[in-house]
This record gives sequence, structure tokens and C-alpha cells, in this order.
Amino acid sequence: MTISVWRYSHLALAVSSFVFIVLAALTGIILAFEPVATKLPGYRVQEFEELNLAQTITVLKKQYPELIELSVDANQFVTVKGTDADGNDVQAYVNPRNGHILGVVQQQSEFFQWVTAFHRSLFLKETGRFFIGLTSFLLLLIAVSGTFLILQRQRGLKRFFGRIVKDNVAQYYHVVLGRLSLIPIILIAVTGTYLSVSRFGLLPDEKVQHNVDLDAIASEPEKPAADFPVFQATALAQVQTVEFPFSDFPEDYYTLKLKDRELVVNQFTGDILSEVPYPATTLFTNLSLDLHTGRGSIIWSIVLAIASGNILFFVYSGFVITWKRLSGRVKNKYSAAESQFILLVGSENGSTYHYANAVFRQLLQQGHKAYLANLNSYQAFPEASHFIILTATYGLGEAPTDAAKFVSQLEGVEQQQPVSFSVLGFGSYAYPDFCKFAFEVHQLLLNQRWASPLIDVHTVNDKSPEDFSRWAEAWSQQTGIVVGLSEDLAGAAPKALKTLTVTVNTPAGTDGHTFLLRLKARGRTKVKSGDLLGIYPANDHRERLYSVGVIGNEIQLSVRLYPNGLGSAFLHALAPGQQIRAKLLQNQHFHFPVKAPQVILISNGTGIAPFLGMIDENKQKTPVRLYCGFRESASVRIYSQFLEEQQKAGKLSELKVALSREGKKQYVCDLLQEDEQAMAQALEQGGVLMLCGSLAMQKDVLQLLDSACQKYLPHDISFYQSRSQVLMDCY
Amino acid sequence: MPQFLKTALLFVAFFFVVCSSSFAQGVNKYKCMIQMTNYMGEGAYIVISLVDSKGAYEKTLYVLGPDKKWYNTLEEWHKFQKKKPANISAITGASVTGGDRSINVIEIDKSKINAGYKLRFESAVENKEYYVKDLEMPLTTEALAAKNDGTGFIRYVRFSAN
Repeated sequence: MTISVWRYSHLALAVSSFVFIVLAALTGIILAFEPVATKLPGYRVQEFEELNLAQTITVLKKQYPELIELSVDANQFVTVKGTDADGNDVQAYVNPRNGHILGVVQQQSEFFQWVTAFHRSLFLKETGRFFIGLTSFLLLLIAVSGTFLILQRQRGLKRFFGRIVKDNVAQYYHVVLGRLSLIPIILIAVTGTYLSVSRFGLLPDEKVQHNVDLDAIASEPEKPAADFPVFQATALAQVQTVEFPFSDFPEDYYTLKLKDRELVVNQFTGDILSEVPYPATTLFTNLSLDLHTGRGSIIWSIVLAIASGNILFFVYSGFVITWKRLSGRVKNKYSAAESQFILLVGSENGSTYHYANAVFRQLLQQGHKAYLANLNSYQAFPEASHFIILTATYGLGEAPTDAAKFVSQLEGVEQQQPVSFSVLGFGSYAYPDFCKFAFEVHQLLLNQRWASPLIDVHTVNDKSPEDFSRWAEAWSQQTGIVVGLSEDLAGAAPKALKTLTVTVNTPAGTDGHTFLLRLKARGRTKVKSGDLLGIYPANDHRERLYSVGVIGNEIQLSVRLYPNGLGSAFLHALAPGQQIRAKLLQNQHFHFPVKAPQVILISNGTGIAPFLGMIDENKQKTPVRLYCGFRESASVRIYSQFLEEQQKAGKLSELKVALSREGKKQYVCDLLQEDEQAMAQALEQGGVLMLCGSLAMQKDVLQLLDSACQKYLPHDISFYQSRSQVLMDCY
Repeated sequence: MPQFLKTALLFVAFFFVVCSSSFAQGVNKYKCMIQMTNYMGEGAYIVISLVDSKGAYEKTLYVLGPDKKWYNTLEEWHKFQKKKPANISAITGASVTGGDRSINVIEIDKSKINAGYKLRFESAVENKEYYVKDLEMPLTTEALAAKNDGTGFIRYVRFSAN
């Protein structure tokens, strides 16, 4: 399985650094609580921003005859070091307004000291520091590659925060949380890297140096510190530390370390003796420390803790995803040259392989020679009689990475024997280009001389077991080989059966073949026209599916009676009042569109059943045209009264009927041929075409539509199929 | 009663003697300022020790550096501290980085001043040098009044009576 460059680097980076990342993240979570713990006492005074240095120094000088240092920490707690009036040493948090002691300065607890040292160097001194620095740089690269993966997945910056499809828990939350904690994680990584780089002296960094001409220091005119203009002009919030003059000698001075510069101030006159701004590297280092440690902000430190927790989750979920992807691989028992059944897979994240594997295993179990490979491995398969192509779509309707070369390879390699194929697309309606690549592959194969479609292209929305079963059933019917969904893929156990009561059952009426059956569900159901009803005529595994129309609150089936038909005979024998147990399957992709400028319904035979319900449901009176084909006029008769009523009610705007054994002997396709241009126009305007009936009709209609598209439209039919403008439910 | 008075007087006298002798042997407090050179790197760990004329450690006066983990980098002092462990928690402060100054109050027995003892400033920085005698000065009234230059990370040390 090939994987894209970003995914490969994302994984490679993660694998190479995850041990260090886990250690750093674990200790990081603990350390995030240090700012919380230190800030909790709340020694910050109200309206701190309004205080200036002159006020505070004046107050402190009265209170403490000997002052050594005043400092303001990231929490804006003010610490004083000096001696009080009784000659006792003082090192305490004070109130900068009145000088009162608020609390004792606690040294960093041994526990946090220990954790900090571990976080910085893993107790490996310089080596450890190097590895931690490297790790934070790798974390940055992981975050960047992850961002690109999200961009690829969401197809562009605009949709970056759009909905994410839930493939599986690990993958879903890996992406969701990845987006949310992207910024904190990038900040952690960048600042961590910066701090390491500056720690190793790789940045030009200089200590501030003051050049004070000691001989020129004046001791007059002497002013009280409260009157020093520089003190008055400096807000306490700007101060990091103030070092008081060591003695009364004029050459001892105040040193003011502010946020952005350092000042030296004459202790008698208040003149500024020297002023040096901090270099940018110092400012960046301070900013990095603020951001990396969360000091001074409880909220930010909690954000950091959460982000670190997320990192741990990413390591876990990342490995779950990788493991799943790797476990999707299989070994082929038969070679490409000897196999009859060729399964070709296009998968970006490996989930499609699970389905392919399920089919593959069942074929092998039944003694068939099957071969499984990715689409890029397309080659000559001399013994092949069947191709099964299972493919996802990636990005903007593009091929997944391991199918990217398929299109060009298909042109180059021609099979020497006829091969029938079936394409099954995997995707989600959450994306606009639903299964586009699968439709493209189907079209491409249709154009191959040697290839013929066994069944039409099928799609699986959001890993729906029902969708997959529908394909499996269609394929099994054509080949006589039973494949199905293994239990782990089928997901939840089959839904509970519903009890339905027969209300009307027409005799196999006017044409002797077709009858209508009406059923009423007990209790409330969410059934909509186009859904499927599964019945079990012999009360065993054999299931028969019927498209239903919902008329009023009843379910209507239109059934053609076949001699010895398992399902049709069973249904035909039902009398009003009788109850049956059946399964109602949602068939989301075949519901009447909620918003469409117009809808064209195309059916033959009993395929009209869901359309009858849809027309009845068309309360908003969307323009609807119905093209239906029957054998003889007698077949139409059971529907004619209903259709006339609907036309009068404005729910059906146009009705065209083709009769294949009477009059002009037309098929429904012939009607469409006449209105070819109108069809194309409808597609262009965003109209929706719905097909229900036999596969043969579907094939003809699609061919006709494709040629209409080529004549009148800029895109081919697969474009409209992937935009859910051509909906099909044929059998 | 007289017996009791005698005993009481004896006690009073005894206390007086004990107290006055302890006064005579009293301690001097000094503000000690260490000014660092502009070296680049981590904060320096510095120990101020009282050593006798032969250079043997007598007493630890102050430790700049809170984390015990790094005490072994101050090799010579660490040996002494291991042999005769003293509780230094009350005389421990923060380490000092290059270019900074650190002012701490240290207590020196009066009897040790001008008595042939020395003050030793021992310094070490992570992944840099270790100086056993970054600064060693005679413990004399004269030296305590002057500016004493260091040889390693310390630029100079000054004292002022507190």
C-alpha cells in the first residue's frame, strides 16, 4: 500500500520520537499545574496596572529600612527582599500599596523541581536536553505534516474546520482533536524548540552591559526616590526587578530591569546613568517561557495541559490507526497470472481493504482462485474472468494514492480475454464528490473493448452494511457465488423485524401479472418512498427486497407475479388483515430530493412503485416528470387513476408512457431519446434523475445520458452521478 | 530560706555569665553582594564557606542554588557536606546567572574575624567550569570593607555590616 508523502512523514516522525513525546507530554501535564498552584494564593492587588514605581518604593522604604531587591513575577505578585524595622530578614510577598506582608515566598517544591528537570533533560544532562530539544522540533514537524494531512482530507483551507466523516473512533478524534489543539501544540513545539536552541547558545545572545562613568556620578542635587521622574514614569506592571543600591556610595546605583530594557539610576539624583534595551532574543526567550510554561495565566496553563493530554491521545490513536491500516494487508495465495477473480482496491486509509478482504476470503474459501491487489498493480491477468474493483475517492474526487496510476495503466495494458467487471465505490455523502473516482473507473472500463459490466456501479455510503449487502446480492445473483459481509463488518446485528398488516391486495389484475400490495406498519415508522422492504418468504436466510412507495401512511408494493417466484408468490397469497414480519431498510440515496429545481423519474415495470409514493409525497410541488415503460396498456391501468389524480393535484407535471408490446412498441429509452436535450438541460440546472427498474434499462438509460452529456454538457455523466443528480435503484 | 536565696543567686549569676559569654562570642551580620561576570549559560551554584588557615572547611555560611541534585558539582564542599552534614535550608537561596548580582545576609562569628580564617566562594555552572576558589579572601575587618575580585564566574564581592 503506498501512502502519501505527508502521511508517510507524519508516521515516520511520530514513530521515531513517540517515546520522548510521551515522556515530555506526561511531565508537561504535571508541570501545567504549577502555574495554577502558584497563582492560587492570589497575592496580586487590585488595580495593579495603575501603580507606579515611585509610589511603591516610597511605601516600601518607610516599612523596610534595608531594601535589597524588589521583583514582580509573571503573576504580578510583588516580592521584597530586605530587612524590616526590627532587623529581621524579610523575603516575602508584599502589598505594593502599603508594604504589608502577604505571604512567604515558597521555593519551587522538590516535586516540581524534579519533574521540571526531567521534562528538560530526562536526567541525562546535556544529552537529554539535546533529545528533548530535538523532540520538540520533531513535534513541530509532526504538527505541520498533520496540518497538511487535514488540508488534504478536507480539501482546502476553506473547509479546514468543516465536518469530518467518522470512519472510526480513533481516526475521527485524531483529526477532530488535532484541529482543535493545533495552535497550542504548534506553540508548545515552537517555543520548546526556541528555548532549546537558545539554551545551546545557537542564537546570538548578549548580556546587557552598562557603561557607567563612575567618576562622573553626581551626588547632588539629592532628591527623595518618590520624586525621581523615571520612577514616576515607570508602571509597576512594567517592572521585572529593581535592585536597590548596595550602599550609600554614589557608585552604587539602582538597577531597573523592565520588561523590555534595563536602566541604571543614580541613587541620589534620580538621573538615568545608562539605558540598554534588551536584545530581541531575550524578549523572544521571555515570550517563549510565558507560552511554554503558562506562567502567569491559569487559563493558558490549563490549555497547555489539555494540549499535552491530546498529544498522548494522538500517540495512542495514531498507533491504532496505523495498526488497523497494516492489518488490512493480505497475502495472495494465487498469482496474478493464474487467478480468475481479480480484486483491485483503491484505498487511502486502508478501510476499503477490510471489505475487499472479506470478499477475497470468501472467494478463496469457496475454492475460487482470487487475487487481491491495489489498483496501481493493474497488469495483464491472463486467466481473469471477473474484476471486482473496490475504491474510495480522495481529495477533490481524485484517485486514492494507491490507485493514482491505474488510469494510465489501463490504457497501456489490454486484457486478451473478455472480462466482466463490477465497481464498488466507498465514500460519504458528506463530501460533494461522492464516489467520483469509482464512477470514473466504471466509465473507463465501459470503454474497454474486452470489458463488460456484470452489474452497474454500486456505492457504499459511510460504510453502510446495507449498501454493501446490496452490491453483494447483485453480484451474487449474476455470478451464482455467494458473498456477503463478514460479521465484524456487518456492524450491528440485523435490525429487529417489524410487524406489518396487509390492508389491500389487488388480484394479479388487469394484465394478469402485476398486483399492488398495501401494508400498514404497527406503530410509527420513519419509512420513506424509495426505502426497501425485506421479506423472508420461507422464514429462512433468504431475503427478498422490494422498493416501496409510501402513500398516505401505508406502504405500497408493486409486484410482478412470477410463476414459482419465491417472493412474489408469497406476497400474492396474502389476504387483507394478515400480518407479516419484515425488515424496513433505509435507502438514503434513493429518497426524493428535498431541494431540486426539477425531478425526472424513470422506471420500467414495477419499478414505478417507489415513484408512486414519491409523487404522493411531493407536497411542495416540485416539477416532476415521470417516464415509465410497460409491456401493454393493461399493465398501466392499475396506476392510471392514481396518476391522473396526482396530475390534477399538481404533484405530477408530466407523464410519458412507453408500451413495448403495443402501439408504437417503444421502450422508456426511446421516450428519453426524444427528450435528450431536456434531460441534459435538467442536469445542468441541478435537476435530479431517478431510475428504478431493471438493470438492462439502467444500462441503456445511462448510455443515453452519457451521450447526451457529451453532446450538450461540459462534464460527463460520472460528474453528475457523484453529485447525487443521478440516483438509481435497479435490480 | 537563706539556702534557697543562695541557690537562686547562684542561678542568676550562672545565667549572667552564660549570657554575657554568648554575647561576647556573638555574631555579626553582613550583607554580602556577589556580582557575576557576563558569562553565558545556566545559573551558577555558589557556596560561601568559612575555612581555617589550612584551608579546611569549618562552616557553611550560605548556599546559592536550591537544587540538591547539583550540589555534587561543587566537589570539594560537597565532600565536606557529606562528611559533616549540616542543615542548610535556612541559608539557601537562588542561583545567580551571568551579569546578575545577588545580595544575601550572612552571619559570621565575631571570634573568627581577624583570627586567621578565610572566606571561600566556590562556584560551578552546569556544563562549564568548577572553581574551588573562585574567590578566597582573608576574614579580616580590612578585607570585609574592600571590594574583592573573583577569578571565575564572580566578578567581585562586597560586604556591608547589617
